[in-house]
Amino acid sequence: MLPLKIILFALFLALSALAGPSVSFAADGGSDLRSLINELAKGSYDDTERQIGAIATLGDEAAMPALQALGTNDLMARKSDGIVFIVKKAGRNYELFDAITGEAAGEAARRDMERIRINNRLRRAIRSALGELTLMSKNPERRMKAAEQVFKARDPEAIETIDQALQAESDPEIATLLRQARAAAVLNSDASEADKLAAVEGIKERGDQEARALLASTADASEGELHDAAVMVQSHVEQILAAWNAAQNVWYGLSLGSVLLLAVIGFAITFGVMGVINMAHGEMVMIGAYTTLVVQEIIRTSAPWLFDFSLFIVLPLAFLIAGAVGVALERFVIRFLYGRPLETLLATWGISLILQQAVRTIFGANNRKVGTPSWMSGLNEVGGLTITYNRLWIIIFSLVVFAVLVSVLKATRFGLYMRAVTQNRRMASSMGIRTPWVDALTFGLGSGIAGIAGVAFSQIDNVSPNLGQSYIIDSFMVVAFGGVGNLWGMLVGVMTLGVVNKFLEPYAGAVLGKILVLVFIILFIQKRLRGLFALKGRAVEA
Amino acid sequence: MIAQASGSVLYLDDVSVSFDGFKALNSPLVLQPGEMRAIIGPNGAVDLTTLDEVDIAELGIGRKFQKPTVFESQTVFDNLELALKIPRGPFSTLFHRRSEPEKARINELLELIRLTDRRDELAANLSHGQKQWREIGMLLAQDPKLMLVDELAAGMTDAETAQTATMLKEINKTRSVVVVEHDMTFV
Amino acid sequence: MITSFFLRAFDGKALLFLAILAAFAIAIPAGNLLFPPDHALHVPIYVVSLLGKYMCYALLALSVDLVWGYCGILSLGHGAFFALGGYAMGMYLMRQIGVCGVYGNAELPDFMVFLNWKELPWYWYGFDAFPFAFLMVLVVSAVLAFIFGWFAFRSRVTGVYLSIITQAMTYALLLAFRRNDMRFCVNNGLTDFKDILSFSVQADGTRSALFFASVAAVAVGFVIARAVTRSKFGKVLIAVRDAESRTRFLGYRVEHYKLFVWVLSAMMAGVAGALYVPQVGIINPGEFAPANSIELVIWVAVGGRVTLVGAVLGAVLVNFAKTWFTGVFPELWLFALVGLFVAVTLFLPKGIVGTIAQGWSALRQRRRSVRAEAGIDEAPYSGEASMKHQAAE
Repeated sequence: MLPLKIILFALFLALSALAGPSVSFAADGGSDLRSLINELAKGSYDDTERQIGAIATLGDEAAMPALQALGTNDLMARKSDGIVFIVKKAGRNYELFDAITGEAAGEAARRDMERIRINNRLRRAIRSALGELTLMSKNPERRMKAAEQVFKARDPEAIETIDQALQAESDPEIATLLRQARAAAVLNSDASEADKLAAVEGIKERGDQEARALLASTADASEGELHDAAVMVQSHVEQILAAWNAAQNVWYGLSLGSVLLLAVIGFAITFGVMGVINMAHGEMVMIGAYTTLVVQEIIRTSAPWLFDFSLFIVLPLAFLIAGAVGVALERFVIRFLYGRPLETLLATWGISLILQQAVRTIFGANNRKVGTPSWMSGLNEVGGLTITYNRLWIIIFSLVVFAVLVSVLKATRFGLYMRAVTQNRRMASSMGIRTPWVDALTFGLGSGIAGIAGVAFSQIDNVSPNLGQSYIIDSFMVVAFGGVGNLWGMLVGVMTLGVVNKFLEPYAGAVLGKILVLVFIILFIQKRLRGLFALKGRAVEA
Repeated sequence: MIAQASGSVLYLDDVSVSFDGFKALNSPLVLQPGEMRAIIGPNGAVDLTTLDEVDIAELGIGRKFQKPTVFESQTVFDNLELALKIPRGPFSTLFHRRSEPEKARINELLELIRLTDRRDELAANLSHGQKQWREIGMLLAQDPKLMLVDELAAGMTDAETAQTATMLKEINKTRSVVVVEHDMTFV
Repeated sequence: MITSFFLRAFDGKALLFLAILAAFAIAIPAGNLLFPPDHALHVPIYVVSLLGKYMCYALLALSVDLVWGYCGILSLGHGAFFALGGYAMGMYLMRQIGVCGVYGNAELPDFMVFLNWKELPWYWYGFDAFPFAFLMVLVVSAVLAFIFGWFAFRSRVTGVYLSIITQAMTYALLLAFRRNDMRFCVNNGLTDFKDILSFSVQADGTRSALFFASVAAVAVGFVIARAVTRSKFGKVLIAVRDAESRTRFLGYRVEHYKLFVWVLSAMMAGVAGALYVPQVGIINPGEFAPANSIELVIWVAVGGRVTLVGAVLGAVLVNFAKTWFTGVFPELWLFALVGLFVAVTLFLPKGIVGTIAQGWSALRQRRRSVRAEAGIDEAPYSGEASMKHQAAE
């Protein structure tokens, strides 16, 4: 039951965050609108026209389905009580849908329903009312959305309405959209070739998937000059599309890379300082993700108002818990295996299995969804780029963690000790640095950061007991790829790997992509790996 | 940096060893067969790491490291046998049978490096000086024209140092030796 | 030359081990075939197949010991060679089903008919002939090992890096074999085998024969591995393991040595897989899972690496424990396995056989020093020396 509750709650949050204002608006105006819609069925054509006008002045988008249904003769009134429904034929009966919400409202026999009749005058009235509700709405956001929809509809009959809207439009951005929508409608109409040529040019700037589809169908349906123009503009649009697509891939790659960055830093530090490949490192990420899950669950049951701040509670907690597990791992197992890297590899792998099995026993093997606070959900479109806020936050966050870590290593005493132990363990030890202590803390730090990575991970993907597994090979690849000496190399390595992965995926498939990266690394691994702050030159040989 | 000039075993041109901006050595170094030279200089003065290791072996140069690296889990005898100059491909070693001349050669080397009585002992259990001798033995087993010996005396007892010096003189009868060292008495 | 090479493998200890194997190979099938089911000495057929499975694992463990124990290459991807060998054999067995399948299609295996494939993919050609299939068992593993090893060793990838890359290799194969368009019957694997060399795989006689073949394969693998490790080649391998760059300075092309032993080991693993499949009756992509490869490394670690007998014993003991555990406490097996491994690495780094050998030679050592004190020369061995020496053998 627990996961279901979580999902529902998350859904509710997401919905209220996305659609907060309009939902409440609809609730207030609902009853008013409903009575107006019910009035549609009464009186003469003139009365109906007046009602349509009244609905348009109300300016509520919720009226749109009913008006559209009216235009297609699908709006009917129930004879018994005069309530108006949107109907759909179902055998001998009609299926009824609420005129505003569109919810199913049972069935009715044909003879119980009466169609609201319309004529051409009313059709025009409906169209202009729809236009008024949308294209000429006072709310610019709604206008923009409407213009988009009109563009997609490519309805030649909408040209008139669009022209009206264009005259009234003051926002240049929306005006451009409207002009494009008009061009789309013109291309779909039987307008003259010259008009259509102009329209093709008008589409050019749009450069998105719809524009491409529109141009392709225009090119198919036409010949001669128009065909050539459409083909040319289409290829232009395709170039733009490819560029945006690449940008999108880079964006996804960067966000993937930044989660990876958090996962890898800890891995690389422990590897650099102690020469230990910790195969259980991915499980620290998992522990962080499950910490998020548990904390959110507690907040949800005992203090729901805290939910938006849950991540601020989770972050230090995940760091501490994963860090503690890391320190325990170092103290009880790894410490006894120093100087035996292969055994360490195997032992930590075994521990990773135990951790996975333990989490599976406690939380179950299923994927679990972790809630996203409202301030992290939603998205923004920049040109052809979809930027989701959670990914944006994660990139910012991981860069902040990276910066903090760099300053810890550079500016604190602990950082100094760590670098000393990395460069020359025996010398550091004889200078009075307690190397076992540095080892344990380094391990704790690395694991803690992995725990934080788990929190970040939980915001972009589902949480499952074996989520950590995939990180080990990736982490290793990063260390192989970018970890030739410093944190910056690793930053570059992580981001490159993230982006390369994303680029290979669509062309080669995820599997082949992995294999290719693998082959690449085998081929280019010539430079031996040293982890962070590695020594260069002769000292390495010793 | 290394080339075989006519007649000489080793010809080092354009050798520059700078140490904190101080030029330690900057002259061509030409070595005739059977000559012994000592280069007095700091750690790493003769750095051949840029050359592929196998190439060095094939050029007829044996290089000894300052820090002896032995095959610890094998006996002194095995260590020397591994170093013998016989075909070293995987298939020739796979079907290799130790011949009498080989055995004799190993025993001769053991005699020279004064390790005959420890021939069946694991290399790990030798003293530091003995490891160095074993290292020299392994070099000789490769039958090089030239031996590069890097800081041999470091860490040896005085007695061992003296024995080493005699040993090197014996070796020098048949081949060239370059010693890199900063222990002046040893030189 | 070849004979002298193999003769090297036989000394007292080896002969003893081979004799035990031979007794085992004869006693178990005899117990099944000669005694009636209610007889006290009767060996049930499932036990025969189970032991046969253990023998395949033992051969696999030998192959890992050869590269890990003697050459220091910790492969976390040997399961891949095992599975490839298994697939080659599985393809042969699929072709043997012929018209006996559910669809009675002589041209196509059942699953291809089921998935609506019209013709046999080219890489299935030839697998209806046993000699070809057997050749492929060796060739496929060897080719993969050669290509992989050639790149990896030439690039001087060593230690943990190599281990991770081998793991990535088997992981990549796992993903690849799970893809539908690879046409290896996707996730369900190859199964429902009927005949091998026109004997029914279900029959007691065939199963006993397969068991015998598995023991024989372990014996052959043991002899080859022992011959290799006791030759001068084996000394070079140990030299590579202990001081790779020093070996290079001696003029050995280390990468050639590694490549040779790596390919040899992969072929042994392939044969193990080929014998395994008819005995368990299925091969699926799950065999490529990295966890399998790591598990088999644990067998070797537990038994004792650098001792070939230890690898065999480790495989048998750990798998026996696994069979017992998964019957009694199925959830706890993983914990037990990892616990066993951690305990062995911490307290018995030489594994079971290695530790016993060490104890034995320490005992001998004490006797010798007693003799030495009695007035003979100073004992040239120290205790530690002979311990290490023993391990090196």
